[in-house]
Amino acid sequence: MARLNEDGQWIIMLGFIISILMVFLALIVNQSALVGKTTSESVLEFPKSEIQDARTEIMEYYQNGTLVTDYNSLRWDLYDLSLDRKGAIIWYEIPPGGIFIHYNDGMTDYNEVARRT
Amino acid sequence: MVDDSGQLYTIEGVAAAVLMVVTAYLVVSTTTVLTPQDVHIIDMQLEQLGSDVLAMMDTPDSYGNESTLASTIRENNTTVFNSTFLSYANALTGTSSENMRYNATIYYRNSADDIDSFTFKASPYYRENAVKVSRWVYLPGFIKEPYASHPDLPDLQDRTQTVLLEVLLWRV
Repeated sequence: MARLNEDGQWIIMLGFIISILMVFLALIVNQSALVGKTTSESVLEFPKSEIQDARTEIMEYYQNGTLVTDYNSLRWDLYDLSLDRKGAIIWYEIPPGGIFIHYNDGMTDYNEVARRT
Repeated sequence: MVDDSGQLYTIEGVAAAVLMVVTAYLVVSTTTVLTPQDVHIIDMQLEQLGSDVLAMMDTPDSYGNESTLASTIRENNTTVFNSTFLSYANALTGTSSENMRYNATIYYRNSADDIDSFTFKASPYYRENAVKVSRWVYLPGFIKEPYASHPDLPDLQDRTQTVLLEVLLWRV
C-alpha cells in the first residue's frame, strides 16, 4: 500500500509564504498610486489662482480709483459672477483706511484686510 | 487500439486553454489601464498653464496701460486675442510647439443684472480631457459699440465693469 508522500512539504509552505508576501507588496504598490492621486487632487482643489485673481482685480480697482467710485456696481459684478460660475463667494468692503476681502468656496475660507490710503 | 489513459490530460488541456482565452479576453477588453494619478497631474499642469497664460495677458506692458486681455475684449478683437493666447500657451523651448485648443466664453451681468454669456472664441470640442480656467477682466468705461455686429448680440451694460472670462483648455 502506498504511503502518504511527505517530500514536498517545504516547497508547499514556501509557496504559501511567498504568495502572502506578494499580496502585501501589491497592497503597498496600490497605496503609492493613491498617494499621487490625492496629492494632485488637493493641489487642484485649493483655489490658489482664484484668490490671487480676485485679489488682483480688487487691487486694480484700488489703483485706478474705481474701488470707491464704482463700489456698488463692481462688487456685485464679482459677487454675482463668482457665485454663479464658480460657486464661490467673493466679497469686499471698504471700511475707512482699509479693504476687506472675503473669499469662500465651501472648502477654503480666505479673509484679508488690506491697508488703503 | 483506442486507449483512454490520457483522458485527464486532455480535460486539463481544454480547461487551461479556456482559462487562457478568458484571461486574454479580459486583458484586451480593458482598453486602457487608467492610472488615476497621471490624469490628475496632467490636469494640474494644464490648469496652471492656463491661468498663467491669462495672468500674463491681463498684465499691462507698463504701469497705467490697459492689458492685452482687457483691450481685446473691450474692442471685440478676437484675432489678437487668439494669436496672443496661442503664442503663450503653445510656447516650448526649441523649435517645436504645443498644440492647444481652447474655448473662450465671457460671462457678464446683462441690463437686467442677470448672468449672461457669449462665446468670444471657440474651437470645436470633441470631449477631450479639458480643464477650465477663468480670469476677471476689468473693462474701464466699457461701451458695447464693437459688439453691435456680434452674432450673439450680447446684452452688455455701457459702464465700467468686470466680466468673467472662462477658458476651456485642452491639448490635442
